[in-house]
Amino acid sequence: MIDSNLIITHMPLLLQGALVTLQIAGLSCCIGLVLGTILALLQTQTTIFIRFLVTAYVLIIRGTPMLIQILCAFYVLPQIGLQLSALTTAVIAIGLNSAAYISQIIKAGISSVAQGQIEAAHVLGFSIKDTIRFIILPQALRVVLPALGNEFITLIKDSALASVIGVAELSKQGRLVINQTFDAISVFCILALMYLIITSSISLIVAYVERRMSDYAHR
Amino acid sequence: MLTVEHIKKSFQKRHILDDITFTVNSGEIALFLGSSGVGKSTLLRILNNLEAIDSGNISLNGTPLNVATINTTHSIGMVFQHFNLFDHLTVAQNITLPLERVLQYSHQKAQEKADTLLQRYGLLDKKHHYAAHLSGGQKQRLAIARAIALEPQVICLDEPTSALDPVLTTSIAHNIQELAHEGYIVLVATHDTALLEKLTCTIYLMKDGKIVEHVSSAQFNANPSQFPHIKNFVAGNV
Repeated sequence: MIDSNLIITHMPLLLQGALVTLQIAGLSCCIGLVLGTILALLQTQTTIFIRFLVTAYVLIIRGTPMLIQILCAFYVLPQIGLQLSALTTAVIAIGLNSAAYISQIIKAGISSVAQGQIEAAHVLGFSIKDTIRFIILPQALRVVLPALGNEFITLIKDSALASVIGVAELSKQGRLVINQTFDAISVFCILALMYLIITSSISLIVAYVERRMSDYAHR
Repeated sequence: MLTVEHIKKSFQKRHILDDITFTVNSGEIALFLGSSGVGKSTLLRILNNLEAIDSGNISLNGTPLNVATINTTHSIGMVFQHFNLFDHLTVAQNITLPLERVLQYSHQKAQEKADTLLQRYGLLDKKHHYAAHLSGGQKQRLAIARAIALEPQVICLDEPTSALDPVLTTSIAHNIQELAHEGYIVLVATHDTALLEKLTCTIYLMKDGKIVEHVSSAQFNANPSQFPHIKNFVAGNV
């Protein structure tokens, strides 16, 4: 069913696409993690007004399709003078989207840290910054790591949406190969397999990190 | 000398602490005895700036204590009922992290101090274990070591024996008495009457947010019938 010669011939192109997919997901994830952590902390530590702004951001991002957000970024950013490449635009749009989801994951993790831990840090004289850095986040991250892993896997798959603005990621390269070979079945099968290999590898890495971080929870 | 005068604290119009006054000298133990909910823990939490007071004064060695800055002056330490150890850190890191981040010790100096304290409390062989993996008695000793690492003048222990068996209770009582011998002002909140026989202390019996009776443990043990409130509490007739 799958034409192996076709696959071998076009594999460099598909691998190139896979690399771009990893680039989009990796960079978006970095933006999502940093911004999501900041948003989560703002939602738990600051004034009602800031919490309202963060909640509104999360509501808008989660309530609209990522496809629309990518297209908005692609067409709106140049209007305000930001001339970015399609890849950069996709990374920013997907990263901002991911931040909204990650903020809620990390917020749940922060809530799971026992109040007694924060009180102990307070009594010992830790600054708020050190309490967050050394006490809250390490314990919160352990709890939310599986959910963060899921989010990263979702990002890998969502990165296919970047193709609508012309980014040559894996699915876009796949369609290019189909246009050249007219063998949709072979190409889609290999695309699915490549996505599966990437996401499974990430699952394994997340499981390993989770095990390392959870050492203290198991005798 | 720790002086607490006329402290009042209410939660939603309910008096938790009502005009609490006492003095504890260096090297002395004040044992606040009472049932759950009489305000013992709240008193210790107030001294550690975990709760605000409605009114009253606290002074240490004659100087009014600014409760808001207690945690940055490290004059008062706390051992929590449930220890509140940092389970994600090792036994040694539970001591070295506050020393490094709060007192700005070098890593080497913090390690040396942690080793000394862990040796003293019989935990040196556990220094690389996670705090979460310790037994109840070991956790209690680590919590005490962590509190005294910052060299406070006052140490508060909230229900220090609530999770321990009688043998460990004796051991922890010995540790508490040692702290007093070293000159710390020690405050203990407990409902465990076994501590009355094991500690040389001043007993403050609390009821409904008030101190209803106080006496030295020696006087009480010599003639319990003179102190009916404490005697009844020990007998289980609250």
